[in-house]
Amino acid sequence: MFGALLEDGEGGGLEVLIDSQKPLNAALHFIQPSCTASEGDTSVGDTVCQMSEVDMAVVKPEALVDDIVQMMRSYIWIQTTDGAVQQVEQEVAMFCPMICQEVIQKGRGSSKNYAISLPQGVGPSMFSLILDYCRFHQVPGRSNKEHKSFDEKFVRMDTKRLCELTSAADSLQLKPLVDLTSCALARIIEGKTPEEIREIFHLPDDLTEEEKLEPLKNTNDDPRIRLLNRLYAKKRKDLKEREKLKSVEAGEEHMDDRSVDDLLSFINGRDGESIGMKTSKNRKKNQKRKDQHKCAPEMYKKESNAFSSLCHNAKFGHELQSSLSETLKLQDVADVIFAPTAGFEDVDIDDEIDLALKEEIDREVEDFARILNSDWPERMQRASILESRRGDRHNYLLMAMAP
Amino acid sequence: MGDVEDPDLISDLPQSILESILTRLPIRDAVRTSILSSKWRYRWTTLTHLVFDDKCVSDRPVVENCMIKFITRALFLHQGPIHKFHLSTSYLQCCPDIDQWILFLSRSDIKELVLELGEGEWFRVPSCLFNCKKLTHLELFRCEFDPPPTFKGFLYLRSLSLHQVLVAPEAIESLISGCPLLESLALSYFDSLALNIHAPNLKYLCLEGEFTDICLENTPLLVAMSVAMYMNDDIAECFEQSSSCNFIKFLGGVPRLERLAGHIYFTKYLSIGDYPGSQAITYSHLKIIELYQVSFEDMKEIRVVLRLITNSPNLKELRVSGLSTVVASAEALDLEFWSKDCPKDCTFKQLKVVKMADMSGVPHEMEFLKFLLVNSPVLETMSITPCVYVMDGRLNMLVQLVRFRRASASAEIIFTQDETLCVS
Repeated sequence: MFGALLEDGEGGGLEVLIDSQKPLNAALHFIQPSCTASEGDTSVGDTVCQMSEVDMAVVKPEALVDDIVQMMRSYIWIQTTDGAVQQVEQEVAMFCPMICQEVIQKGRGSSKNYAISLPQGVGPSMFSLILDYCRFHQVPGRSNKEHKSFDEKFVRMDTKRLCELTSAADSLQLKPLVDLTSCALARIIEGKTPEEIREIFHLPDDLTEEEKLEPLKNTNDDPRIRLLNRLYAKKRKDLKEREKLKSVEAGEEHMDDRSVDDLLSFINGRDGESIGMKTSKNRKKNQKRKDQHKCAPEMYKKESNAFSSLCHNAKFGHELQSSLSETLKLQDVADVIFAPTAGFEDVDIDDEIDLALKEEIDREVEDFARILNSDWPERMQRASILESRRGDRHNYLLMAMAP
Repeated sequence: MGDVEDPDLISDLPQSILESILTRLPIRDAVRTSILSSKWRYRWTTLTHLVFDDKCVSDRPVVENCMIKFITRALFLHQGPIHKFHLSTSYLQCCPDIDQWILFLSRSDIKELVLELGEGEWFRVPSCLFNCKKLTHLELFRCEFDPPPTFKGFLYLRSLSLHQVLVAPEAIESLISGCPLLESLALSYFDSLALNIHAPNLKYLCLEGEFTDICLENTPLLVAMSVAMYMNDDIAECFEQSSSCNFIKFLGGVPRLERLAGHIYFTKYLSIGDYPGSQAITYSHLKIIELYQVSFEDMKEIRVVLRLITNSPNLKELRVSGLSTVVASAEALDLEFWSKDCPKDCTFKQLKVVKMADMSGVPHEMEFLKFLLVNSPVLETMSITPCVYVMDGRLNMLVQLVRFRRASASAEIIFTQDETLCVS
């Protein structure tokens, strides 16, 4: 510490100070600004050498009381981000670890020239707030209650200033104030809806619909969010239905051909190459769900991991097969009723599932292909039932096409 | 026309501050911040403190399931180390998911683990818990604790708290001695436990339960102790036969003790065994003594109390409460003790506050008060609360009190009639 002080070349009467037996006092005495106020912009060496006789005399280890009194009256020079330089009472400023560090380790703040420059995040108004805080808290002998009531009043300010204050306190490494402001901010956030929070902090609403909707992220059972999910799911199903109908009109024959091919390709283990038809994927999913209760519980569990995250009500981690098939039956019902007012919040976001899930599903598809091959006749029957339910127009067309 | 985009106030604060803000939120709100904006999407996932309690799921019929799902998903989405995991809920009973959570935590550098489940079936601690090498703080409620034979101890454990835990006594002993840094130990609701405690760094000890035999063999740094000994007849019998001095076993090796609190039958427990009068241990740091449910009809217990307070030269505060089941009988035995065998020349030079509760006014109690008043030159307050059952004897107590000589001119004797004011 002393080495650093010496190297700064602040020379002059330093030797006298170092003789003192109390290192910290010596360091603080060093910055003793008898050289403040009137001295002005003189050079470095001058500043220190100009320490008056009075001050040199005070620097005696015996006169500790005088030292303290002297320290009480001393000031530190600080330059705020707007360029202005001001003096701050030493004991107040030293309450901030960053300023303390600058003073002791780098020897700054002793004069106008060598003022400590505040970090970027600490504007003048913030700095004065922080000084108010330090001024109160550095006084010893106040009770906890007094500190707490001061703190409570202190953080009553608008959110913008609170955030700035947090940032400023962090730059100055003033941990107690950072904790205080963090607490205040947490209290603001707690219990509010996302919209309210965005409003307060001017957060951009830049998540896509799917990202917001993914139940995986909204790991809570807030009824409002569930309702939102349901509404969105409804809308999406509506959209899909409309798309489906449009494309049905456009390429019906195409679809008829493909329907069988689709099944074949699925069964043979290829991922459903959708031609923009969600139906094939839907079918695949529906098939899988129906098939699940036939396969071993472990496999189901893996699958259900993928799907239960999509379906709120799928039982998670349950080993009993009976309850699984029960769930499946319910899902069957949901699938078959294509009207959007499904009883279940079967959020059909098969297109937007996470990559990890997708991979898992791909694996499952292959596994199922093998199983399905053994159950071929039943599958065909099921598939045809599904087909027949896809809209009246489709049915009509099938019948029209039937030989 | 031109809308000035209000700048984002908060997302650009340093990560440490945002984490500190998120940590102060209940876990539900913290997780919900993930849909605020793209910057906030995964902010909560690096939190190192996860605290789950009954508030993190809304009150719904299928709460247990919701809670399991919530915690599992939160853990699954979490990134980075988890230093603190508290699970404290009455909704959740023992279930297989908990084993998985602990396994996950054991791989995430867990340091502080608190598990408190519902009152149903007790949960069996999985062996992966013993692989949590960095554990500094462990609190378990209502579980079965069975360390594998290869388990040597938690090398960094500072605080251990086992509450209603089913564990073999040897296992606890070896666990305690296997944690060299252990500073705080709390064992509650154990049945018939006999323990030798070897904990060279132990500072705080809290015992509550039926203990048959406790010996603080190696606890030189103990600073504060709070003991509640429940005794049933079996234990009392077993004590009659033992000859070793409980006082020495408990308080023989704690020279740094600053605070002692003995509840329920502690004084009785201490009184068992023959005290070899030769060894006089001075508790020069002992400042606060609290002894509850002291039977002032049992000479041995009275001697224990006297021994304690006369060997504590720096005692500042004394709280004693009597046994409220005592029937104040007019005659008393051994009253000569106070004039003949009572320790003489003991001045409580620092004793400032005395609180006596549940006083029945039995002669020994009054003599004890007299003894205190005469020997406490700096006493400031002595508050006395009579036992609720004693109505007639109160006037008698007051009459005697008024007569006692006081060594301290500024001593106030506060006799509280209000039954609700209870010292303990």
